[in-house]
Amino acid sequence: MTKYIPTIGIECHVQLCTKTKLFSEVDNDARGKSPNSCVSPVDYALPGMLPRLNHDAVKLTVKVGYALNAVVNLYSRFDRKHYFYPDLPKGYQITQMFYPIIGAGFVELPDGTKIRIEHAHLEEDAGKLSHESTYSLVDLNRAGTPLVEIVSQPDIHSAAHARDYTKELWRLMTHAGVTFGDLYNGNMRFDVNISIAPEGSDQLGTRTEVKNLNSFRSVERAVEYEIKRQTKLLEKGEKVVQETRGWNDATGETTGQRSKEEAEDYRYMPEPDIPPIRLSLEEVQALRDEMAWLPKDYREWMRGCLPEDTTEVLLDYPQLCRCLTELYHSNEKSNLELAKSTAKKIANLFSSVLLAEENTSLLNDELPSIAQLQDLVMMNDQKELSSTAMKEVFLRFFDPEMHYKDTRTIAKELGVVQENDLGALESIVDAVLAKPETKQAQTDFKAGQEKVIGFLVGQVMKESHGKANPSVVQDILRQKLR
Amino acid sequence: MEVNQDTIQHLAKLSNFALADSEVARLVTDIKEIVNYISQLDELKTEGIEPTYQVFEMENVWRPDEIKAQEADRDALLTLTKEVENYQIKVPKVL
Repeated sequence: MTKYIPTIGIECHVQLCTKTKLFSEVDNDARGKSPNSCVSPVDYALPGMLPRLNHDAVKLTVKVGYALNAVVNLYSRFDRKHYFYPDLPKGYQITQMFYPIIGAGFVELPDGTKIRIEHAHLEEDAGKLSHESTYSLVDLNRAGTPLVEIVSQPDIHSAAHARDYTKELWRLMTHAGVTFGDLYNGNMRFDVNISIAPEGSDQLGTRTEVKNLNSFRSVERAVEYEIKRQTKLLEKGEKVVQETRGWNDATGETTGQRSKEEAEDYRYMPEPDIPPIRLSLEEVQALRDEMAWLPKDYREWMRGCLPEDTTEVLLDYPQLCRCLTELYHSNEKSNLELAKSTAKKIANLFSSVLLAEENTSLLNDELPSIAQLQDLVMMNDQKELSSTAMKEVFLRFFDPEMHYKDTRTIAKELGVVQENDLGALESIVDAVLAKPETKQAQTDFKAGQEKVIGFLVGQVMKESHGKANPSVVQDILRQKLR
Repeated sequence: MEVNQDTIQHLAKLSNFALADSEVARLVTDIKEIVNYISQLDELKTEGIEPTYQVFEMENVWRPDEIKAQEADRDALLTLTKEVENYQIKVPKVL
């Protein structure tokens, strides 16, 4: 039987997290807001309105370029793409057809595979339509939101890589700080082009496009489904129709929406309202300098420090990663080794205490302060907190009742600070050794029964209400019983 | 450029116009004339010349990213629409 090789290209729309829209001065974050409450006459396309470009949207797009290892085009400009649909009252979308701001680049997946980026351009989002039984409703809150469209080369050849690519894009965009990355609210959406061709063929098959996928999982499932569907058609000797298909997450199937009988006619023309963008090398370099760490920086930094899969999990939490780098940078000048071990301990706490136990909802709240984390590791280094106690205190950093208190106060309130004061510990040990019920154990230990030391340590721990540092207690006991 | 009934129907479809046959015939005549008139420009050699994007040679006209209160609020904008439901603009069903 013929083996078919899939070829996949992905277009990704990223909503930028600017304060205002791309061309109007109204609130750009419409999440949870009442319909049409974030609109201006520009979004409404009232006659005579002049769109004005948001400088920050341009800056964030340059950062997108760096995240994609891409060329930033110093000269770019806008075009009108005409289509008639109620989600954009102007009758056209302002986009960049001929001179996009971002040129060729690539995304490297965690397994080392490189997916080339064809280009990325800046454009405006359209409004949201809800379809009722006999009419449709238009909400223009989202109309005019700055959108970067990232177009990949058809370099993807499996459903798993399609998923990995979209997930890596999400990480790149959220770490670069250009989007909220809220997939549920459509901050990133994917259009996937899929075709299959017999292995060894130098021609690509007819492709279909599955539009508006909004999760990595649905990208993977839609690709799997399309590969199966197209393979079946070809095996039966039928043809794949070039068309746009919709994805149904509930049934796990794609269905044909409209076949492209004719090439879409958008009648592109230069946008006269928005003068071209010409960036200076200085401005572009300055933006590069203020870039936050990207996944590759974290991978390099954590290599040899944390297991790879832990690193990959941490990368899904950009805010947390930023917290780790801040912690690292605050120590690195004074003591590089300490900076590394401190960051490693905290990274482990995040991954074992929060991520492993699926307490990730805690991460939505404010993260602990750098001072809290510093003190936590310091108290552990100085044996004032056992590893167990450290975890306990760490969890309290997320407790609304306690998170504002400093580490030592929390540890004291929990009663988990270990007693390291030798004088105080010695008197507790003396008191325990004076007790008649420990006499037999003392005799046994002296006679060479190593194991009973555990019993004696336990007695001292009990006497200290668990605050003694067990290894220090053992040292004192051994000295006294020698 | 050839202008015929199909061209007009195609343009009407792109703009979501419903045209009666009589209107199509009239438009064929009118648009043919307009296109013919403009076709005089074809005499100019424009190969390798970039389209004019704008005539003022401005660049980098941008504004700071700051929210400004709008003179026209939602109610003012919604009064311009024919039908409203739950603060949304009601339109004929589109898919």
